[in-house]
Amino acid sequence: MRRGLMAWNTDEVPASALAERLTRLRAAMRAQNLDALIMYTNFPRPSAVTWVTAFTPYWADALLYVPREGEPVFATALSKRVAKWINSVKPVGELVNTMRPGKTVGERVAADPTIKRIGILEMDALPNGLYEDLTEAAPQVVLVEGGKAFAEARRVIDDAERGLLAKANTIATDALAQVDVATMRDAGAVVGAVEKAARLAGAEEAYVHIAVDLAERAAFARVSGAAPLGSRFAVRASVAYKGIWVRRARTFSQDAADRDADAWFAQALAGLKPGQPFSAQFVHPDIEGYIAESCVGSYPLEKVSETGGDVAFAEGSLAVVTARLLLPHGPWIGAAPVIVGGQGNAALRAA
Amino acid sequence: MISNDRRKRLFKAMTERELDVLVVYGNAWQGDYLRYVADYGLLEGQGLAVARRDGEVTLYLDSPLEAERASVESPDLTVVYTPNIIAEVEKAMERAGNARIGAGPFKLLPRRLAARRKDLRLTDETAFIDNLLMNKLTSEVDAIRRSAKLADEGYAVFKTAARVGRADYELIAEVEAFYRSRGVDDNFMIMGVGGPEVRGMAPPAGKIIKQGDLVTTELTPNVDGYYAQICRTLVVGEASADQLTAFNVYKEAMEAGIAIVRHGTKASEVAKAENDVFRRHGLGDYVTSEYTRVRGHGLGLFADTKPQILEDVHTPLEAGMTIIVHPNTYNPTVGYMVLGDIMTVTQDGHELFTRTPRELFSVPAQ
Repeated sequence: MRRGLMAWNTDEVPASALAERLTRLRAAMRAQNLDALIMYTNFPRPSAVTWVTAFTPYWADALLYVPREGEPVFATALSKRVAKWINSVKPVGELVNTMRPGKTVGERVAADPTIKRIGILEMDALPNGLYEDLTEAAPQVVLVEGGKAFAEARRVIDDAERGLLAKANTIATDALAQVDVATMRDAGAVVGAVEKAARLAGAEEAYVHIAVDLAERAAFARVSGAAPLGSRFAVRASVAYKGIWVRRARTFSQDAADRDADAWFAQALAGLKPGQPFSAQFVHPDIEGYIAESCVGSYPLEKVSETGGDVAFAEGSLAVVTARLLLPHGPWIGAAPVIVGGQGNAALRAA
Repeated sequence: MISNDRRKRLFKAMTERELDVLVVYGNAWQGDYLRYVADYGLLEGQGLAVARRDGEVTLYLDSPLEAERASVESPDLTVVYTPNIIAEVEKAMERAGNARIGAGPFKLLPRRLAARRKDLRLTDETAFIDNLLMNKLTSEVDAIRRSAKLADEGYAVFKTAARVGRADYELIAEVEAFYRSRGVDDNFMIMGVGGPEVRGMAPPAGKIIKQGDLVTTELTPNVDGYYAQICRTLVVGEASADQLTAFNVYKEAMEAGIAIVRHGTKASEVAKAENDVFRRHGLGDYVTSEYTRVRGHGLGLFADTKPQILEDVHTPLEAGMTIIVHPNTYNPTVGYMVLGDIMTVTQDGHELFTRTPRELFSVPAQ
């Protein structure tokens, strides 16, 4: 569950930015001939609703119903006792606390005869209970996949999102800087220090994973406690700030070759050009592979490209890149976010 | 190992129920069904496990990072990474041919899979798995006992961290760092800071602690996948007479509920015993859904599992169930207060796991 700082700050995400996102979403809905769009949220899949409302649930599931006109409806299984809190961190949409969000939204749909065709973001994955309640309450409407409309509206990263990305990136960078190769001896000390630093800096969430001994295995796991560290180990901090996620990973050692790899990685990310296949730009003699993730739907980050892929990122897109090298002395892992294009990296460094 | 004990029990139960294949869904929010079958705790994305009665379990994950982690943390599993997880599991179900396939939790199952209910003769086995989740094996109860000890220790850290001038989220940072150092990988935690304006617990919002505040928390650490919970309230500085008077009602209510916990008692009876105390003190309005959610609940591989302790839930408690009794609610004079202890149900009563005293704690204001 989310248990770090969850708050809505108008300086970071102004109401005008949220209004502009809603306008773009409705324009995309019109282009797809949708009378409404329904988005699901729970904390593993919060990001579409967070983008529209600035709200991320800490627990339970919910539906956001966005008709072409009028106020959106946020129907959540979170109970009434937290209604005041939800309204303090969710500036968009009428709040309805209900044990059955599908039924509540279905009844709203049924009450409006102009709603005939509704898009559902990631419809195949919608939890069955919500879907059954929705279709039982509103059997007359046609439900279609709404991902295309959402993706069209979501494509643009606005200033508010850039600011949150920059802050999340700073938190992750600073948290990883707490790792002290000279004094830390076990996974619990490393993971605890990184997570504590991230949370003290205001992270909404921090998942810290560690590959405790790269000589043994170059794979991240959720290890804490007294697991001993190898002479080369890697740590990954996946950090959320106000609903926006980044990942950073570093390889820790006393070896200068690892610092050279760090420098190559930073330079490769800074030089990424929009509109060109990613793999052709990401070249190193010892590269083992990479994956690039972004936020395109309800997942905070999901894979959009990998080694050998021909995906080209548009100007201003977010890519969180994890690269792996197989250096002569062992594996190296690095991960960092980048906004592709000339201004992108400057924006990420600004916080 | 607990996971081996669980699997033995699962496959025996599947055989008795004549289920050939069991499909379970999980994510980081509700991962207990998946964990029971596949012994893997998800953080990102979604997972589906397909278990065959012959003992083969395949875990499908839609995050490459999770698939990598599963290969380290659950090396005995067959792990399949696929970005098209629903389509892949649908194919696996089709390949099962005439086998009898069950699934759960059915309300969370992806719509597309549930839509194959008729042609694949898919049955809703939520209650079947719920029964396994609620009635725990000895090794499962032992894990919860270990978690409960860490809940007590975590609360001591929380109490030490609660000081005037600190932000609410800083307390959580301290507790989480402590838990990582102790090998606790996950923790459910909400809190409240303030007075009568506080109507419930929620994630921290950046509130700064001041003298006289009530600081509430529900701490739920996880050991080997099993959650235990503690609920306590502290006052920054000396407790006022109103705060002490209010707290005594919660204590009386919790103890009234706990006193009747034994094999055969219904969940509704425990809730009524708690709520009757509030009613006797003229606070009956505050045990309704307007102010509170449940009067306790089960714990195990999910932090909020069945049975819910409510006056309309008539599930009989059974030996081996693990529950928390917590009469948490709003008090109109002093604000939201919490108090809760965890226990396992036995034939003759219960074994209480919580060791932290049932006090309204006071921490220095300076």
